[in-house]
Order: sequence, then C-alpha cells, then structure tokens
Amino acid sequence: MWADLVFLGQIAVKSSVAVALAALGELVAERSGVLNLGVEGMMLMGALAGFAAALTTGDPWLGLGAAALVGAALAGLHAFFAVALRANQVLAGLALTILGAGLSSFLGRSLAGQSGPRFRPLHLPWLSDIPVAGEIFFTQSAPAYLLYGLAPLLWYWLFRTGSGLRVRACGQGAASADAAGVNVARTRALCTVLGGALAGLGGAYLSLSYTPGWATGMTGGQGWIAVAMVVFAAWRPLGAVAGAMLFGLFQALQFWFQATGQELVPAWLLRMLPYLLTIAVLAVVQGSPSLRRRAGAPADLGRPFAREG
Amino acid sequence: MAANTNTIARGEPLLSCRGVCKRFGAVAANRDVDLDVWPGRVHALLGENGAGKSTLMSILAGRYRPDGGVIRVRGAPVAFASPAQARTAGIGMVHQRFMLIESMSVAENVRLAAPGARDADIAALGERYGLSVDPARLVADLSMGERQRVEIVKLLMRGADILIFDEPTSILAPAEVEALFSVLRRLKAEGRAIVLITHKLDEVLALADDISILRRGRVVAGCLTLDQAPGRRELARLMVGREVLLSVEKPPRDCGAEDETVLAAQGLSGLDASGRPAFADVDLAVRRGEIVAVIGVAGNGQDALARCLAGLGGGTAGSVAFAGHEGGRAMPAARWRGARGLSYVPEDRHGAGSVAAMSLAENALLTGQADERGGPLLDLARGAAIVERAVRDYRLKAESPQAPAGSLSGGNLQKLILARELAAEPALLLAEQPTQGLDLAAAEDVWQALLDLRSRAAVLLFTGDLKEALSLADRLAVIFRGRILDVIAADDPTAIERVGLLMAGVAAPATADGGRNGTGACA
Ligand SMILES: Nc1ncnc2c1ncn2[C@@H]1O[C@H](COP(=O)(O)OP(=O)(O)OP(=O)(O)O)[C@@H](O)[C@H]1O
Ligand SMILES: [Mg+2]
Repeated sequence: MWADLVFLGQIAVKSSVAVALAALGELVAERSGVLNLGVEGMMLMGALAGFAAALTTGDPWLGLGAAALVGAALAGLHAFFAVALRANQVLAGLALTILGAGLSSFLGRSLAGQSGPRFRPLHLPWLSDIPVAGEIFFTQSAPAYLLYGLAPLLWYWLFRTGSGLRVRACGQGAASADAAGVNVARTRALCTVLGGALAGLGGAYLSLSYTPGWATGMTGGQGWIAVAMVVFAAWRPLGAVAGAMLFGLFQALQFWFQATGQELVPAWLLRMLPYLLTIAVLAVVQGSPSLRRRAGAPADLGRPFAREG
Repeated sequence: MAANTNTIARGEPLLSCRGVCKRFGAVAANRDVDLDVWPGRVHALLGENGAGKSTLMSILAGRYRPDGGVIRVRGAPVAFASPAQARTAGIGMVHQRFMLIESMSVAENVRLAAPGARDADIAALGERYGLSVDPARLVADLSMGERQRVEIVKLLMRGADILIFDEPTSILAPAEVEALFSVLRRLKAEGRAIVLITHKLDEVLALADDISILRRGRVVAGCLTLDQAPGRRELARLMVGREVLLSVEKPPRDCGAEDETVLAAQGLSGLDASGRPAFADVDLAVRRGEIVAVIGVAGNGQDALARCLAGLGGGTAGSVAFAGHEGGRAMPAARWRGARGLSYVPEDRHGAGSVAAMSLAENALLTGQADERGGPLLDLARGAAIVERAVRDYRLKAESPQAPAGSLSGGNLQKLILARELAAEPALLLAEQPTQGLDLAAAEDVWQALLDLRSRAAVLLFTGDLKEALSLADRLAVIFRGRILDVIAADDPTAIERVGLLMAGVAAPATADGGRNGTGACA
C-alpha cells in the first residue's frame, strides 16, 4: 500500500514537470502583460528540437539547450507581433500554436519512432534517501531538479527584486510603469522570450525524459493545461508548480487505474479536472472582492501598450 | 492680447519652451507655445477646457513628442523620447489621472519610480514634507488625497526639481487643499520649480508667482508676475475668452403647488465597491423644485451612497422610494437602473461615464435609449444632435460627433455627459462632482443648467466644494463616516460655519430655530 502511494507520487511528479516548466514561462510573460497562447506550439517545437539535437550530438543537455533556443525564437515571433506591432495577442498566440504543430509534424517525419539519448533518473546523495518525500521528489531526472530550483528563483525575482517589480508593473498598469520610466515594450518582449524558452524546455522534457523519442502532437494538450495553470495559480510561481503537480497526480491516477484495471474515478473525469478546478478557482477569486484585489491578475494582460493617442 | 513678457532679471529659467507645437490629427493642441519656469517659483498655467494645458505638460514630461519647437532644461536643449528621459532631466509630473498601480502597495509604487527606495526612506520623506502614507498599504485602499501624496513622494524620491501638477486640487477636500499648498510652498522654498495647472482663481492668487494663460493652444498671456496680473475678473476673461460672473443667481424656490417627493431614502445602509460598509442609516428626501447637496470630505461614503441611489447596487438594508414607487428592501434602488426619469452623472467620467473608443454621438446615446421612442435601431442623428447642442450650449470643444470620446479633454468629456443626461429630461438628476475639472465658464454653464432644471425637476448634488453647495443647494446634507450628520437649510445664516464643522466631524450645537431637517424657505 505504502509502496503503491510512493510509486503514484513518483509518477505524479514525473507527469507534471513539462506542464510546470511551461506554466512558469507563461506566467512570466503574462505578468508582464503579454498573453501567449502559443505555448502548445512552442512545446511541440521544443520537443522536436530537443530530441533532434540530442540525437545528433548524443548529449541530452545540448538537446535541452536547443529546445530553449527554439522556444525563445518562436516566442520572439510572438513578441514581434504582439509587442512591436501591437497585434491582437489572442490571434497571434493561436497562430503560433498552429504554426508549431504543423511545422513540428512536418520537420519531425523522419525522426518519428527513432530512439535517442535521454535523461535518466538521477540519484542525489542525502536527498534521495529521505523516506517517502525523497523517494517521490528526488528520484527524478535532471530537468525536474532544474524545475525545483527555478520556481523559487522566479518567485524571488518577481516579488523581491527591482526588475521583477518592473515586470509586474508592465502587466498591472503599463501606462503607470511607462510614466515611472520603465521601458514597457522591451520588458514585455524579454519576458515573452524567456517564457518561450521555458516552454521549449518543457517540450524537451517530454521527448528526452517522460516519453523519450519524437511523435507527432506528443504534447497532447499539455500546453493548454499550462496556460490554465497560470490562472489556477493566480499568477504565482509556486502555485503554478503546485497546480502542475495536481495535474500530474490526475495523470498518475489514470495510469494506475489502467494498470490495476479498477476504475474508481472515470478517466474522462480526471482529464477534465484541471480545467474544472481552474474554473472553480476563477469563480471563487472573482466572487470575492477582497481576493480579487489581491489575486494579482495582471490588469493590462493582453492589452497592447501605446503611449501616444 | 499681445504676449506680455516679463523682463525682471531672475537668472536662468530652469525650464524653457520656445515655439512648441503639437497636433492630434486635425486638432492643434499647442501652437507656438513659449513658457519659462524659474527655480523657487510657482508658475500657474491657466486656460479653458481643451486649451492644451495637459498636452503641453505631457510634452514636458516626455509622454508626447512635440511636432515642433525647442525645450531647454538648465539652458541645454532636450528632446525626450520617453518619460524616463524627462525623469533623468529632473522633470516629474502628477497627472490629472494618477499613474499608480492599484493592486500594488505604496512602497512598490514608489520603488517602481525610484529603485532602491526603502520603506524607511519613504516614511522619512513623508514625515519631512507632511506627506505621510503607510508604505505597506495597497493603493486601491487609499483616498484620492493619499494617492496624490504617493505621487508626490514618487517625484521627490527620485529628486525631481521641476514639478508639474495637473489640476491637483480638483479631487481634494478643502482641508486637503491647504495641506497640499503647504507642501508646495515648502518645495518652492527649497528652490524647486513648480508648474501648477488649475481652474480656480483663489488658488492662483494664493500660490502663484508667475501666470501664463493658454487659449485654443496659444499663449494669450505669458509669464505675468502676480503684481502685474490683472484683477480676478480680467484673469477669468483671459482664461475663457468671455465675461464670467464668478457667481450665479439662485432664484427663490417656488413651491406653490404640490411638494412632490421624488426620491426618498429611509434607513439606507450599504457597502462600497470592495465590500466594506460605506454608509448607514441614511434618511434623505429630495422634492421636485429643489436642489439637495450631499456634502462631505472625499472618502466618507458618499460615492457608494450615490451609486446605490442611482440604482447600481451596494445597498444592504433600508428602502428607497422613487417617484412614488417603493423599492425593494434588501437591494434598494436596484430597480431604478435605467428607470425613466432618473439621470446619473458619475464622478468617474472616464470609466463609468463614457466609452473612450466610441464616438461622441454613440456616447451620447449610451443612456436614455431605453425609452419607447428608441426602438431596436440606434438613432445616431439624435446622438449627433445631443453633441451639437452641447457644443452650442456648453461650448463643448470637439472635432465632430464622430470623433472618439477618448480624444476629448477632461473638462469637455464632462460637458458631454451632462448634456446627455440633461437631454433625457429627468425627474431627478443625480450629479456627482459635476463641475470637477471644469473651467470657470463651463462651471458657470453647468450651475445655470442645474438651476434651470430645478424649476422642472429634483436635483441631488454630491459635491465636496462648499462654495458650490452653498450657491446652488436649497438644503445641505452633511455626510461624515457614512452617516448624514445633519441637514441644514442653505439660507440659514450660520450654514457656512456649521457645515464646515460638520464636514470635519464636529457636531455643532443646534441653533435656536433648529435648522435641523431644514425645509428650505419658500418664496
Ligand atoms: N490623445 C489625444 N488624441 C486626440 N486629441 C487629443 C488628445 N489629447 C488631447 N487632445 C485634444 O487636444 C486639445 C487639448 O487637450 P488638453 O487635454 O491638453 O486640454 P486641457 O487644457 O488639459 O483641458 P482640461 O482643462 O479640460 O483638462 C483638446 O481639443 C483635445 O480634444
Ligand atoms: Mg487637462
């Protein structure tokens, strides 16, 4: 029983890493006021680029780097349209997702089904030996450890440093930030690109660790879950990771029910739960004026900023 | 009138403009403007609504780029590409609409403008200038006066020595105005240069060293010193280009026929927008043929009360009756929303009063379309007619009825909203701060319109301006901490004094004849 639960926990964490990385990226972009619905497309391209680079070089770390670069480049495209040209962010983001899906399926044809290098579970001295918690969290592959470090780092950056304050100001009140001397366009572009790099990493985690190899459309909607998790977490980094872990738990339960043949909760319900929970959180937060004021939902999210009328 | 240049030697101006021009499409907001601002002096910039004052200041603060002209700071020509550069040159501006992020704390807002400012620094600076605000509080929870203090702290924190204030007093209560002025005097004494935009002559005479007047984008009087300045009447004439009376004649109340009560609130309590109790136990009646003013210092629950009476919700207990119809108990007035006969002029003209991206004609139709004449089609001609009437009657300055509302200056937008609400021929007009930010002539037009309406309808006026309340209203209801402390007849000789005390929360002893619930004198 105990061993079963630990196993379930391991799978849950394993299943959450890609969503968590992508959600952190989207969170940074949205905190700066840019809505990027291209996460799914950036993850797919990241997954492909990561796998291809790892295959040619034999080094999964180089794969991870390539994925981050490709994700950043695609996000740069979004920044160009959404920030520089002040295009509609919803449309630009959707276009990016369609582009990423189409392009990755086209470019990845020859790679489908091949096997290449991957990240293997990494045993950490001390940490991995802690009973239960250590077994769940510290028997993962390297990208998961990257995530553990990244989440508190992003929190610290956004809420405890001057540049983080400027990022949040661009999302909460672009005109006020501008009047205070912040370069809104540059801040937003940089945050969007950083978000794309993280989405690329998330994609590469899938093709280099979670389900090694390349398959068309292998993200299976995890990019959209990541977008939902940002809202679920009320734009807080640690909350986004927690939300992703919850998603991972639902995934793990699905596998478990499949493996044991007993379906306590129907699979379709588990697949729906992340979205239902997001809606529930939205309803609760929006329903309470005091929560709404503090939730941190960027007031200028999705609104292009122009100084002169 | 020829530009009157001052020749008294007082050294190099800290800031000087020569020939500054700025166009917005077909509108020339600034034409050939010259302006000099000296250290240790307050320069008052006057002018009617839409004269181009805010535009000129936004150019100096780096928000807009001028189409032509030279700007020099400490003698060196500058061309700001962004507010950040103006800031580096030592120019700071408190905008008409505050540039604060509501969901962040005071300290975070200050740090945004002045990186590295610690809470202790903010508190110390606040202490020194009489600008204290708790750095940990959320801006959304602050009163308008407190927000303004935060804006000033932001400027001082980054060491700005050219300070621009765009109509800083229009949102302040009388006591707060005094506090602001002592801050400004102090800044002046430190040798900083101050530009003050205002529509109020008293403030100009109390504070200004130099005066410039803009009209239709041009300087009509440049850099007069206070002793050169003509009298109040002449100043007012220069500002708006016509004779202004500076006061209105209030005809005696005519209550011959029936004393028909239009709006009656009983034991009304309610919450503000963030769900905290804002007003309690309010009893208030407004009859046809009278103007009742609810007067109080900003932040005493009057905005929530106005919203509730206008039928926008927020009520928790009590009842409201409107034109003989009893309102519900739990949510008083909710059913008056859009009711025929009630017109509402909200204080927030940008958010609640208009839609910036829609045309003036469309904005003119936003309310009052629900009547039987409306039908399913938009009667754009009627909207255009309302706009044109506002242009004629209230001297609204607009390109055309098709221009977007966002292109109007603050005062002109207010004129449009008033014209719209008056066009509906309401039984009750509920107006919140209707002359806030209006120039003298426009304010006079609005006062006259309200007094005209009084003969046909009831008017409930929410204002923080004691002079306005006394010259318009028949009865004054003083609100303090969400309660109506007393209702005083305006013709009571002790009214000024008693209202002033009550606004500060000091209950005055009732006078012998007991002006309580003063009924207002009839002719
Ligand atoms: N962003 C804009 N787009 C188009 N027109 C504008 C814009 N801003 C201002 N204008 C126009 O420029 C003129 C000057 O406006 P400005 O806001 O400077 O007036 P103001 O003197 O500050 O008036 P008020 O006393 O009402 O605030 C007005 O006619 C206004 O309609
Ligand atoms: Mg203005």
